[in-house]
Amino acid sequence: MRNILLIARREYMEQIRGRAFKISTVALPLLIAALLSFSHYMARKANTGKHIAIVADDAVLANEVRLQMLDDKDAQYTVDVTAPATAEERATWQEKVRAKAIDGVLAIDSSSPEKVSATYTSLSVADVSENGGLQSALNRAVINERMIGKGITPAEADAMLAKVSIDALQLDKDGKIGKSNGGATVIKATLMLILLSIPIMLYGLDMARAIVEEKTSRIFEVMLAVAKPGDLLAGKLLGVGGVGLTQIAVWTIGATVFMGSALATSLLTGDIAIHFSWMEGIFFPIYFVLGFALFSSIFSGLAATCETSQDLQKFMWVAIVPLYTAMGFLPVMIKDPNSVWAVAATLFPLTSPYVMISRMGMAAVPLWQVAVSVILLVLTTWGTLWFSSRLYRVGILMYGKRATLPEIVRWLRYS
Amino acid sequence: MPVVELVGVTKAYEEKIAVSNLSLSIDAGQMFGLLGPNGAGKTSSIRMMMGITIPDSGRINLFGKPFERGSLDRVGYLPEERGLYKKMRVLEQLVFFGQLHGLPAEESRRRATDWAKRLEISDSLAKKTEELSKGMQQKIQFISTLMHDPGLIVMDEPFSGLDPVNAALMEKTLLELKDQGKAILFSTHRMDQVEKLCDSICLINKGKAVLAGKVREIKGTYERNRVIVEFEGSASFLNSDEIAEAKNFSGHAEIKLKPQGDAQKLLHEAAAVAKIYRFELVEPSLEEIFIETVGGKADA
Repeated sequence: MRNILLIARREYMEQIRGRAFKISTVALPLLIAALLSFSHYMARKANTGKHIAIVADDAVLANEVRLQMLDDKDAQYTVDVTAPATAEERATWQEKVRAKAIDGVLAIDSSSPEKVSATYTSLSVADVSENGGLQSALNRAVINERMIGKGITPAEADAMLAKVSIDALQLDKDGKIGKSNGGATVIKATLMLILLSIPIMLYGLDMARAIVEEKTSRIFEVMLAVAKPGDLLAGKLLGVGGVGLTQIAVWTIGATVFMGSALATSLLTGDIAIHFSWMEGIFFPIYFVLGFALFSSIFSGLAATCETSQDLQKFMWVAIVPLYTAMGFLPVMIKDPNSVWAVAATLFPLTSPYVMISRMGMAAVPLWQVAVSVILLVLTTWGTLWFSSRLYRVGILMYGKRATLPEIVRWLRYS
Repeated sequence: MPVVELVGVTKAYEEKIAVSNLSLSIDAGQMFGLLGPNGAGKTSSIRMMMGITIPDSGRINLFGKPFERGSLDRVGYLPEERGLYKKMRVLEQLVFFGQLHGLPAEESRRRATDWAKRLEISDSLAKKTEELSKGMQQKIQFISTLMHDPGLIVMDEPFSGLDPVNAALMEKTLLELKDQGKAILFSTHRMDQVEKLCDSICLINKGKAVLAGKVREIKGTYERNRVIVEFEGSASFLNSDEIAEAKNFSGHAEIKLKPQGDAQKLLHEAAAVAKIYRFELVEPSLEEIFIETVGGKADA
């Protein structure tokens, strides 16, 4: 145990003093914050202040659509109406879109009052949210016009069409109801995935690189004369894992201090108002530690079979495939956090460390699922550690070339 | 009681037998040379002594007891391939290795500082290992091997990478340690150093001991049929019928006589054509014994 702690301390101190730790501890959260703020800002900016022309035969309907559009204060539309519009006038507006003088043309065809249709022409047809806003304004205007046609007064029609907002509420496992914010949930889920996956990958791969370097520099020969291979591996895992936990602790303290500041109050409103439950707080470090132990032990075993960093790169897929799989599950989870696929991803040991915390933020995960997920992860980690330590024990003393699969099988038999 | 003892030790990797039925023992205050051509099984034998690998059969005793990891705290090991943490500062690194051998941090620091003074590298203690020359790193490795005052010192090629001045300093240090009663085993290809430093040797080839014993006794078993001649004048006497083989280094000749070669007759022949300063009948050198014993049998 003395040697494990000494080795862990050495690994910890070397990493903590390293430039990589300092940069990643400060730069990573700043980068994430900058990216989130930028995408949030761009998303808002992209859908505001658009200049749109409405062309129609029915001037009353066109003006009603205009009013409905102007009613959307967030969108801040500038709306021109040409109704009734001739073919030349329609062509002129189209030309203005092409020349980027305006953002788009909404052409309303109400020749059949029972079946009003419309087209929206812009340079960016993929602007779905824009179409959604226009569709809502057009529908309300058509319904308004039809109601008035049936003898309902404009005031009554307005009252009937008054907007109804839906507050999404989330029921937690204790039966408590809290207000949910869809946008914040997506941001939080992504954030959790990033905050868990990057340190696990970063430190796991860093440890693998260190093993290859130490094997190349033959330091293992010296170390093995004073410590058992298992102690060496355990010390490394403990030391490097401690660095990861330190980084998370620094981030948590930083985030807590920031949350309490006036700046956070003004910035973290609306879509990016993020809150964490006690369950997420407890299980975040647990999943980090287990995820780190699992992937680091896989990388350590593989690193022991390599001669150079180039050899190690050939195993990079082992790190990337589970991460990409977890990322692929995220949209499925956001859509339905209790779907079969979401449950499977949070139980499968290679993806659960990345996605369980994200899922906890979206839905009340049953405790039995958390328990099964942790147990499966612990058992897999234990099995991987056993396998890797055998590989490590022989691999670190084998020099010359990268081991082939039959050689690896033979090593496992020796150890 | 031998400090280290190998009894009938065998180690094989797949079909290749690295060490076969090897036995040797080293007493306190003895300097022991483990010799052999490349791939003979020297490093495999040392790794088993250090518990890095486990013998397939036979036994290893350390300090009079069957091998146990706890005994390694009393062993200093300098492997052939040097291994130091490049990014660590020298003093910090030495303290770390001292602690791994069971020394308290403060004691480790004190001994590291003392050894650095003794080996004339005090200025390097605050530097990172990667900033030092190969020779300096070798000295650091040397200190990390010795600072916990081991009873058994195992060194694989301890003088490689050292200039003659530093090699002499290390030799002097090893002899002092031997005088203090330490058992020292070293493996090397430098036969002149073995001849100068070792009391006993074990020559292994293809995993087997082919020659073992005290250096004096081994050399004593060989006939004095070598002649060292220092001369001035014609070297034509080197074509004498008495000579089996001769090397001429301009004024210094090393001669091997034929089995029935007559040294006196050769002296007369030499004196007739050259001025002789030295004519000495000697035993074969360890290098010659080495080549003769494993010549043509080595793998590499």
